[in-house]
Amino acid sequence: MSKPKLKPLFIDNLKLRNANANRWKIFFQVSTYVGIIFLTLLLLNILNQTFGYVAISSKVDPDSLTKEGVSLEQLSKKELITIIQDNVSAGLLRQLQREMPLEEKSQSEVYDIVVEKVFESEVSATWTLADSLMNKVSIRAEAAEKYPKADLVFYSWVKPHLLSNPQSSNPLNAGVRTAIFGSLWIVLITVIVAFPIGVGSAIYLEEYASNTWFNRIIQTNINNLAGVPSIIYGMLGLAIFVRTLEPITSGAIFGSVDPTTANGRTILSAGLTLALLVLPLIIINAREAIKAVPDSIRQASYGVGATRWQTTWSHVIPGALRGILTGTILAISRAMGETAPLVVIGASTYIVFDPNNIFSKFTVLPIQIYQWTTRPQPEFRNLAAGAIIVLMLILLSMNAIAIYIRNKYRKY
Amino acid sequence: MNLKKKHRPGETFIQAFLYFCGIFSIFTTIGIVFEIGKEALLFFGSPGVSLWEFLTGTTWQPQVGEFGVLPLVTSTFITTFFAMLIAIPFGLAIAIYLSEYATIKVKNTIKPILEVLAGIPTVVYGYFALSFMTPILRSIFGADVVDIYNTASAGLVMGILILPLITSMSEDALSAVPRSLREAAVGLGATKLETAVKVVFPAAISGIAAAIIVGISRVVGETMIVALAAGAGPKFTFNPFEGAETMTGHIVRISGGDLSYDSIDYNSLFAIGILLFFITLGLNIISQRIVSRFREVGE
Amino acid sequence: MSRKLQVVLAVLIGSVMVLSACAPADLPQTKEETPAAEAPVAEAPTAEAPMVEEGILPAVDPAAFSGNVVTAGSSTVFPLAEVMAERFNEEGFAGEITIDSIGSGGGFERFCKTGETDVANASRAIKNSEVENCAALGRTPIEFRVGTDAMAVVVSSENDFATDVTLDELASIWSSSTEKWSDVRPEWPNENILRFSPGTDSGTFDYFVEVVIAPMFKNAEGKADVKAGKTDILNNSNAQFSEDDNILVQGVLGSKYAIGYFGYAYFVENQGSLKALSIDGVAPTAESADDGSYALARPLFIYSDAGIIQSKPQVGAYINFFLTYVNEEISDVGYFPASNAALDVARQALADILQ
Repeated sequence: MSKPKLKPLFIDNLKLRNANANRWKIFFQVSTYVGIIFLTLLLLNILNQTFGYVAISSKVDPDSLTKEGVSLEQLSKKELITIIQDNVSAGLLRQLQREMPLEEKSQSEVYDIVVEKVFESEVSATWTLADSLMNKVSIRAEAAEKYPKADLVFYSWVKPHLLSNPQSSNPLNAGVRTAIFGSLWIVLITVIVAFPIGVGSAIYLEEYASNTWFNRIIQTNINNLAGVPSIIYGMLGLAIFVRTLEPITSGAIFGSVDPTTANGRTILSAGLTLALLVLPLIIINAREAIKAVPDSIRQASYGVGATRWQTTWSHVIPGALRGILTGTILAISRAMGETAPLVVIGASTYIVFDPNNIFSKFTVLPIQIYQWTTRPQPEFRNLAAGAIIVLMLILLSMNAIAIYIRNKYRKY
Repeated sequence: MNLKKKHRPGETFIQAFLYFCGIFSIFTTIGIVFEIGKEALLFFGSPGVSLWEFLTGTTWQPQVGEFGVLPLVTSTFITTFFAMLIAIPFGLAIAIYLSEYATIKVKNTIKPILEVLAGIPTVVYGYFALSFMTPILRSIFGADVVDIYNTASAGLVMGILILPLITSMSEDALSAVPRSLREAAVGLGATKLETAVKVVFPAAISGIAAAIIVGISRVVGETMIVALAAGAGPKFTFNPFEGAETMTGHIVRISGGDLSYDSIDYNSLFAIGILLFFITLGLNIISQRIVSRFREVGE
Repeated sequence: MSRKLQVVLAVLIGSVMVLSACAPADLPQTKEETPAAEAPVAEAPTAEAPMVEEGILPAVDPAAFSGNVVTAGSSTVFPLAEVMAERFNEEGFAGEITIDSIGSGGGFERFCKTGETDVANASRAIKNSEVENCAALGRTPIEFRVGTDAMAVVVSSENDFATDVTLDELASIWSSSTEKWSDVRPEWPNENILRFSPGTDSGTFDYFVEVVIAPMFKNAEGKADVKAGKTDILNNSNAQFSEDDNILVQGVLGSKYAIGYFGYAYFVENQGSLKALSIDGVAPTAESADDGSYALARPLFIYSDAGIIQSKPQVGAYINFFLTYVNEEISDVGYFPASNAALDVARQALADILQ
């Protein structure tokens, strides 16, 4: 009489289980790298557009301005001024003289003006970074053949004057100054409005709200709002902030703007719209973070006689701060990169003055990038790539600060 | 002195403020429903428009009075499908890896990277789709098969777009599961995989479901990528390699031109908007059902 | 861990190199582009520069003005308006100019209905309904002709069969009842026509329907039926509509069998890779646009109102500056100068208001 057949021994099974575990571990690991590869490809795609050879030609041939082989740099100030007087429009000359009479400027300053205003350099062709690195010779040959008068230079579209110049129709002069100011103003308003309300809402739901039907509705509602497409917030912003609240958002009732053209397409409207947009994200993330604080901590706090707010403020919030900040970073990143709602609200296409208050018209970095991407001239796409790098650097430094704070307030 | 009855005006004020914050989101919803519903009702009240035709018609051309929303809806679902094809498997795998396997050092390197990348403007992804993904699809399937503007490319890139979002939120949910559960599972002899998949994952399912929902909503509502890469012009097709305009793509294209406020075109956008709103609402209700059914009672 | 990272990095860099090596081939910016200076535009007589200084309009010094100038409208006019605004700023204007590129219809909406702009840019004349809206605001739109656009009908430069079409053939190409190129002309290939059109909100679309498509349809009175024309072009199965001209350019570039139409400036920017078709045997050039022999030449306008110009002197200065110097810049932008007579009418209109 034999014993009933035993199940496979634990030890046999273990081999299989361990093998399984290893296989999946590799899968998880590879997925992570694939994710990073995707995102790296995207970044490289941008870098590929940002640097590379550019053929720059001048509207006015420098050689035609000089006589008898004297190079332009060696001309006297007087000769350079004559060149300027002969080649720029009367209005521009008047303006240049008004800023500071040309005669009082140094030779090199005058020379710079000649380069900037007389040559009117233009981009004839651009090459990608990959091309520029690998096909240097053929690019040289091609440029020499097709643009004999152009200079072939290795060009970086990210450069100081990309930050300091406003928008221009010439990609060599165009910059994102206006857009950066616009983005910063708008995000500032968004954070000021959305952060306290969002975190307050999360605290209310997690710490104060009892399980009534009304509070359940609030919770469901927030989850639903998180899924509402950003463009609908744009429509909401258009309907409420731009149109209904126009007297406030345009600044007309504060008398700070010209009433004839006052309209709600302002930084204030944009910031408030984005605040509504990111609010659910901040709330959801803050709630997750608050939920993760163990209940025992609250009980201990109540046990020593703390009130609900004292418990929340002294124990729950510090414990949840890390998660709240993570969520807020994501939300701000989202707001900074958001384009569609602001297109609906109506950002300006051409705007070259710095916004100086919350009632200014605006453009933001992603919209500037979008508009450059959609320009017919290919070199604007390179410029857009440069602007993307600027935007990413801004986000990166914001995140660095946030991560620093997060690491300071470690979780339990 | 009875501390319990002590008058604390500060606390009352704070509580009032928190209550206001709590119900603030209700105001937003009322705003959306009221404003968008108002315009949508004007649309459905217009002569020559019927709800039935709106929901079942296969031609959308407001200029000539054809209001069938299906072409916009199908392309929205095609792009969403492709996005999820990428985002769910990779997103969850990365989240599990980060929370259960990765060393602190790796985690601290990868998480911030993902956070930064979540902030890349969607315009960039749109350009990426057009200048990178589409050429790749065209070289794989042939330029005759794949149009230069196509929903598959936009969808795949949207999958990449929401990868950081899904990963980050799922990882937060997984990390929030108490360590004691893992220790208990390991103590019973479970492998790391078994702990991760059978213990930690179910305990975090509500957070993960929330992540996926937010991801889907984001894709359905994502605008700039489809506006740049999926093509313009409503088209009733199930072929992912053809260009077709999604609901959001249509709204942004038309509203970018700043419509006349009382025209039927303008109102029709709000009809699409309210439909979009209901679609996301439906998705959320389904997912919340799932969450409540599978929620593990942890802690 | 670091070893693993190295492996991953190596794989990554490898794949990037492969991918980036093949990707640029599809990118339009690597394609050759003839500099704008060689475009036929530049051949246009631009010797009108020394005029006007003491002509109809008073000389304008931008530096004497400040305040804001708010403009919005046609994306076709946008590149021109941008250059003029930039020069206005460069020559000393201390105020703030904004230009929103939102389509001619959108521009009139903001000018006539919400009354928030000072100037409307348009690639078509104002409609009666829009004039009525303006009247309700107490505004009387005044038209200033600033230039001429020759709408370019373009195909990819790889397209080796189509070089010229008649207006009727063009209508047939864009008709929803036509599917293949061979349906239009038997000797053309038996391939589907891929159509790329500006969106329904643009003046370019309206103009194209009015001039090309609508004449194919007659209404009860025997006149061109614009609505029927719109229905027809919008019912096309293989058509994409976008306000974004670059999408159109990319779309047409993408296939040998694609066709599109848009403002001439956008064609000039992509001359190396696109080919403009002749209409009824006339190619779009400065001459053919000016004398009207090119069937798709159309005027470009800006609109403002006497009351605004009088109450906001900077708006008058801007329009004055625009009308004075537009011919020095317009060829570079890619459009054609309006005839002197037409510009003089505009200048006179402004001079009358300024007095």
